[in-house]
Amino acid sequence: MLTDELKKGSAEFLILSLLEAESRHGYELQKLIESRSDGVLTFNVASLYPLLYRMEERGWIVGRWVEKSGERRKRFYRLTPAGRTALDAQRESWKEFVTAINRVSGVRYA
Amino acid sequence: MPNDRFDWHADIRARVAPARLDPQDEADVIEEVAQHLEAQFADLAPTIGAGAARARLLAQLQGPELDDALARRRRRARPTRSRTWSVTSLARDVRYAVRSLQRSPGTVIAGTAALALGIGLTAVMYSIIYGMLIKGLPFDRADRIAIVYYADPAHEDDQIPLADFVRYTQQQRTLSTLGGYSLGSANIAGGERPERVTAIRVTSGTLEVTGARAILGRTFTPNDNDPAAPPTAVLSYATWRDQFHSDSGAVGKAVRVDGTPRTIVGVMPDGFEFPRALTRLWLPIQTPTDTLRPGQGPGLTVVGRLRDDIEYDRAQAEFAALSHQIAKDRAPGTAERRAVVEPFIHGLVPGRVYAVFYTMLVAVMLVLLVACANVANLLLDRAVARTREIGIRTALGATRLAVVRQSLVEAGLLAALAAVVGTLIARLGIAVFNGVMLKSESYFWIDIRLHPQVLAFVLLMAVAASFVSGVLPALQSARLDVNTILKDESHAASSLRVGRLSRTIVAVEIALSSVMLLVAGFATKSMTNLRRLEPGFASADVYTARVSLASRDPVRQREFFEGLDRELTAMPGAKGAYLGSGFPGTGWGGARVAVEGRVYARPQDYPPARTLAVTPGFFSTFGVPVRRGRAITSADVLESTPVAVVSESFALQHFPKSDPIGHRIRLGAPPNEGEWLTIVGVVPTLFATSFAMHDVWPPEVLTAFWQERNLTFASIAVRGAPDVAAASPIRKVVTALDAETPVYATAPMTEVLAAPTFALRIFGTMFVIFGTVSLVLAAVGLYAVMAFSVSRRVRELGIRMALGASGGDVVRMVCRQGAKQIVIGIAPGFVAGAAVVRAARGALFGVAPNDPVVFAMVGGVLGVSALVACIIPAVRATRVDPLVALRTE
Repeated sequence: MLTDELKKGSAEFLILSLLEAESRHGYELQKLIESRSDGVLTFNVASLYPLLYRMEERGWIVGRWVEKSGERRKRFYRLTPAGRTALDAQRESWKEFVTAINRVSGVRYA
Repeated sequence: MPNDRFDWHADIRARVAPARLDPQDEADVIEEVAQHLEAQFADLAPTIGAGAARARLLAQLQGPELDDALARRRRRARPTRSRTWSVTSLARDVRYAVRSLQRSPGTVIAGTAALALGIGLTAVMYSIIYGMLIKGLPFDRADRIAIVYYADPAHEDDQIPLADFVRYTQQQRTLSTLGGYSLGSANIAGGERPERVTAIRVTSGTLEVTGARAILGRTFTPNDNDPAAPPTAVLSYATWRDQFHSDSGAVGKAVRVDGTPRTIVGVMPDGFEFPRALTRLWLPIQTPTDTLRPGQGPGLTVVGRLRDDIEYDRAQAEFAALSHQIAKDRAPGTAERRAVVEPFIHGLVPGRVYAVFYTMLVAVMLVLLVACANVANLLLDRAVARTREIGIRTALGATRLAVVRQSLVEAGLLAALAAVVGTLIARLGIAVFNGVMLKSESYFWIDIRLHPQVLAFVLLMAVAASFVSGVLPALQSARLDVNTILKDESHAASSLRVGRLSRTIVAVEIALSSVMLLVAGFATKSMTNLRRLEPGFASADVYTARVSLASRDPVRQREFFEGLDRELTAMPGAKGAYLGSGFPGTGWGGARVAVEGRVYARPQDYPPARTLAVTPGFFSTFGVPVRRGRAITSADVLESTPVAVVSESFALQHFPKSDPIGHRIRLGAPPNEGEWLTIVGVVPTLFATSFAMHDVWPPEVLTAFWQERNLTFASIAVRGAPDVAAASPIRKVVTALDAETPVYATAPMTEVLAAPTFALRIFGTMFVIFGTVSLVLAAVGLYAVMAFSVSRRVRELGIRMALGASGGDVVRMVCRQGAKQIVIGIAPGFVAGAAVVRAARGALFGVAPNDPVVFAMVGGVLGVSALVACIIPAVRATRVDPLVALRTE
């Protein structure tokens, strides 16, 4: 189980990564993070939405109500150009961070 | 799974509410979170059970992070919201209005057409007033050009005698330049062909007042006014171009004016006309002033330019004081006159012209008001149709201001369209007006176009129109009570109240139209009376001209005119030829008359008569029969007994019980009596126009042209086929007799007769246009209101018909309602219209200002068109199938 601190720092990075390919709604994001991390990372409404609203405020993502025929309208989030820049920057620093950790700790992947 | 339908909204709302988000934002958050919880619940419930799932999710919802997020959202939402309101809201209103107007092209066309007519007519009228009375003279700092005249209500003559003018020039200090002129005409010879032109006699200083300079040579100096100085002249550009072929060496050459050679000292620039349209020549006044006492000498119109630091009231005060002083030195018997200094146009244009034009501006503004009332009604109609929409908008938080603004924006869009179309209408109207005015001699400074100021006026009118027509529907919409509207399925309450308002508007429209139609009716009747008038003489196939002889030699003059009479009579195809002092109808002279044997105490006791000196050809040319006695014949010459032929009106007034033939009369009151004239015949009374048109059948005296002592001038008339009775044959005859005598004022007799009634016809026609437009607008307005009221009552009418009312009953009922408004509108309209007609009764001809026929006809026209406007919707209502009507909401 990850500590809260670590989780908070990485959460925005994860959301940006998930929105890179396509736009998604809130619950979809929560489920994807949970399933892809095999339950290591979890969110709930009270922790996810403050994050989304903050990222929207920064201009990284935009939420839009989208109506599809025969369905209830849903709020989908997509990446903005600013969000893409932020994602690239975070990827870069994450890579450096992981490399550094690896060098220091000697952890090796099989 | 019943738990699927857990409604999370309430829980979330309770959680979010304390954050007090913007309602829209709050709704978004609630919806988004609710969807999330629903989905999560659907995943969770099957594994851990509905109760546990719900409990867990509710617990998660209480997480503290949410508070921060909501607080931040609230801070963010506020500024965004107000920005939306202030910057883009107008654009949104306009967009919305465009969309909503697109859906009802009928409203747009009707509203725009009505306003465009109103704005167009107003613009035409204003451009006339602007070009004639406001814009001013086409000279530098023209507002400083003043006119000085004597104001005396007891006297008609307001000119300043030459002797007084000299005193003013010496003593006044408030005007920098001062000049005096008198109007006149002169024969010019020496160029292509002799011409009779407008020539102005001026003192030096007159042309300088305008600030214009001669393009060749100079204007007059005080030396030119010296009685002993050689005669000089200043030419207009047109005279220089036409008579002297734009000869740059014209200055110093001679021009023959009235037979006397004068030295040309200058040529004025192209387009320079002062103080009269078509001025072709300026001549210096050379009357000796040494022996004149104040009050003596020819009358002058005095013009001046205010000194830079002086205003009109100062100049006025100085001249009033000077005129008081000068009066003390006047020749005994002349009354004191008070000098008035005014801006040129204001002083020159009679007050009644201002009154007529501004009255007409008010009239067209009333037409525009009628148009606004129509548009107001159209918008009201829409406002009612949209009552629910407005109610819902208000319920959702739209402020009253927003609702009002929406309605004003719609009216504004219509007015903007109308301003464009109205400007086109104005262009057309101005072109027509200018075309008509070309035929009449008017003020030289008149310049009627779409000046920027006129366009600004159009804009102002459009803004005013959109406000006037938008504000009533706007206030009406804003006043609506939300609860009533939302509960009111049939719109009954709201439409009732609106219906009352539109009915009032229509009553006002009808009242305004009846004022306009009354004026138009009286003008039309006056015009018809004039047209139908039997003048007592024939004017068809009669062609007229004038000649004025340069020679002052009585023997030569008589020879010329006798030769002219002979040649004209002998013209092949001429059925009659006439020479005389003027034409019947418009050319009568006026004189006091004395009947032999009667005593008249004072000069003003001598009764007036209209006079005309005629050749024997008068009777054949104008087809005037002799009722008793004989006509004037070729035997009535200078050496024989002076004779007169009088009209029946004259005979009736002066010899009611006896035969006038053989009695003697004398023209002129002491001290200017003429010779005794023996009455030899009686003719029917002939039509005589006078400015006020009060008495067109006055007592008339015809004298013998050949018994006149002085013959310098004659009016000519020839009767015959169009190729004989025309300008060029007459001109040929005159030129053959004397190459230096110009023929001028050539026109068919019908035109001569029509000229004095020119103004009446123009303004009458304009009022007919105003009246017709406002009638159409009022009828359309009434139609709209009735159609609207019927459409709101379809259900009621359907019930009535289902219960046995016939179509006729329904039509009668609807028409009764319309008739009430017509009567309510016509009554005050007639009262106001009668007052207007009474005020303008001077312009009426042959119709009393309370003529019941005109009132009845106007009432009839109004009533019929209004009833038609009612019957159409009423009949349409009867065609509705009761079953459909009953189902209508």
